[in-house]
Amino acid sequence: MAEETFRTETKGMERYPGLTAFLEGWGIFRQSLLGKIGLVLLIMFALMALCSYIPPLIDPMYNPMTGVDPVITCSTGPSRAHWLGTDFMGRDILSQLLAGARVAFMVGVSAAFMSIVLGTAIGMTAGYMGRFMDTFLMRLADMIMVMPTLLVVLILAAVFGQLNIWTIVLIIALFRWPGVSRIIRGQTLSLKQRPFIEAAKVAGASHVRIIFRHIMPNVLPLAFLFMTFRVTSAIIIEAALAFLGFGDPGTVSWGMMLQWVWKTGHMFKAPYWLLPPGICISLITLSFYMLGRAMDEVLDPRLRKEDQTD
Amino acid sequence: MMENQGNAIIEIQNVSKVYRSRGALFGVRAKDVVALRQVSLKIYKGEIFGLVGESGSGKTTVGRLIVGLEEITSGEIFLDQENVTGLKGKALKAFRRKVQMIFQDPYQSLNPQRSVLDTVSEPLSIHRVGRSADRKEMAHKVLKSVGLSPPEAFFYRYPHRLSGGQRQRVAIARAMVLNPEFVIADEPTSMLDASISAQIFNILLKMRSTFHVTQMFITHSLAAARYLCDRIAVIYRGQVMEVGSGETIIRNPRHPYTQALIDALPKFKGSGEIKQYGTLLIEEREVNGEPMGCPFYPRCTVAEIRCEREIPGLRMLEEGHYVACFNV
Ligand SMILES: Nc1ncnc2c1ncn2[C@@H]1O[C@H](COP(=O)(O)OP(=O)(O)O)[C@@H](O)[C@H]1O
Ligand SMILES: [Mg+2]
Repeated sequence: MAEETFRTETKGMERYPGLTAFLEGWGIFRQSLLGKIGLVLLIMFALMALCSYIPPLIDPMYNPMTGVDPVITCSTGPSRAHWLGTDFMGRDILSQLLAGARVAFMVGVSAAFMSIVLGTAIGMTAGYMGRFMDTFLMRLADMIMVMPTLLVVLILAAVFGQLNIWTIVLIIALFRWPGVSRIIRGQTLSLKQRPFIEAAKVAGASHVRIIFRHIMPNVLPLAFLFMTFRVTSAIIIEAALAFLGFGDPGTVSWGMMLQWVWKTGHMFKAPYWLLPPGICISLITLSFYMLGRAMDEVLDPRLRKEDQTD
Repeated sequence: MMENQGNAIIEIQNVSKVYRSRGALFGVRAKDVVALRQVSLKIYKGEIFGLVGESGSGKTTVGRLIVGLEEITSGEIFLDQENVTGLKGKALKAFRRKVQMIFQDPYQSLNPQRSVLDTVSEPLSIHRVGRSADRKEMAHKVLKSVGLSPPEAFFYRYPHRLSGGQRQRVAIARAMVLNPEFVIADEPTSMLDASISAQIFNILLKMRSTFHVTQMFITHSLAAARYLCDRIAVIYRGQVMEVGSGETIIRNPRHPYTQALIDALPKFKGSGEIKQYGTLLIEEREVNGEPMGCPFYPRCTVAEIRCEREIPGLRMLEEGHYVACFNV
């Protein structure tokens, strides 16, 4: 009976195959506990990021970077004016935490998006062109893959001084594409042999057309799956960088907050200041990871052969 | 034959194809596969030409060489008297407007991520035919002609929601939408049920009668070829054994291999003569050293000594009937 109604429901949507596919995928996703927890957590963080615009509107002293409570001169615990307390110079920790959520999304999603675009383009090119191009691009990928991203960014920061947050995002993206490109390349290699590619050739399709019209739609789901994992690693790298003192000094990220706790010697004195950013970093990376795992189940099982170690 | 000389649409001359083994593994070179040896065929305007042979005999290779999916090892291919061997770039693209192919497996030959309309109108956008509305109109027409109606109901469907027969119709529509001169159908029904096969055959016949498209129909079944084809070539291990009109090949086969194929056809009339010719050896004959004679020699009951050493060429027996056998 339930199936009947579902049928009739989807019938009218024949013209919107993307939507039907989405609904089907959602049906599988919903059955995954991991996916549901991840999604709820992410919605929570997204709300936090949205709310980050509110405190500075209430009072300039709630500005996460520059707003200082005039009556406070050292770190204080939670109070009515500052629900999570203040840092060493009287800035509101809650506002910082909310702003941190916004930065985490920004850094995570944009770095992941860029590395996925890069990795997908390079992987498809290498797999499709083969020969010299393949060898060259994959050797390059190997070289970059073995470089520890964090260390490289640290060295760059040491050489060029403080890095802008967007520079950090760009560097993360530039160093995190090889893993994606390897998987997309493998996928492309197997797609390239399929008769529908040959049929397109016989129809007269150019290489560019075959790559973008025939191969790309078939690898995109996999690329998007990878994006969720890349978000996780980008957030962790940015946090580590900030904590080590090489973050963008003009940005309030959770890693930055930890750095301030550490530098001012409040590590073991102010749990109200140390714990919130620490917990947030762990939870947001965990939630993106769980979301990715659940999406993995939604995707075609044939696509599931990636190795999630990096 | 002579009077037909002028209107050969496709002609292949002495075409050979060797699949070279990739690289040597541990110094041991795998053997190269000779898929086709000195194959010559002519296909005339408006006919359905049957290429019949068992699996692995090189039928698909002939098709792939003609449409340029495979590089030719030696020999030449002509389209309308023009040499089209090894075309590249613009010339190749222009050629592809005229010569199309329908692939064997409709479950593999349609992109799962593209709708029927995308698939069928793609050749039009590749060759910049008409505007988007015109293309839709043309896709509509061609889908209707392959029996997918109403076409609108199929436009936005994806392959996973189509049956095997429907998929193959879409593949035929894609091949026909550019109104090509010549279409190769590579065992288009080998993945489909018998009843669906008959429908597909009728679509191919209809394509000929309405669009006057010349076709090469590749099949392993002499029965199917007899139903569809005006002329038939029988191919065995990469060599053409016999060429003739459908009627001749069925009623008056002269090559021992063709005769063996006829023997293998299911018979319905009477019961007496099960094997009319009996030209197929039950056990393969040993060949000393490198095989260099007639490919059918190891299985031929009427073979002579020279058959082991020499390859018989195609000889004309009568008007339009050619056989590659020393014994006839
Ligand atoms: N890409 C290839 N590489 C190596 N050998 C091939 C390749 N394609 C076909 N062959 C060989 O060529 C011969 C003819 O194959 P094919 O043309 O596919 O036969 P058919 O279509 O008649 O079954 C077979 O022996 C096959 O193994
Ligand atoms: Mg074949």
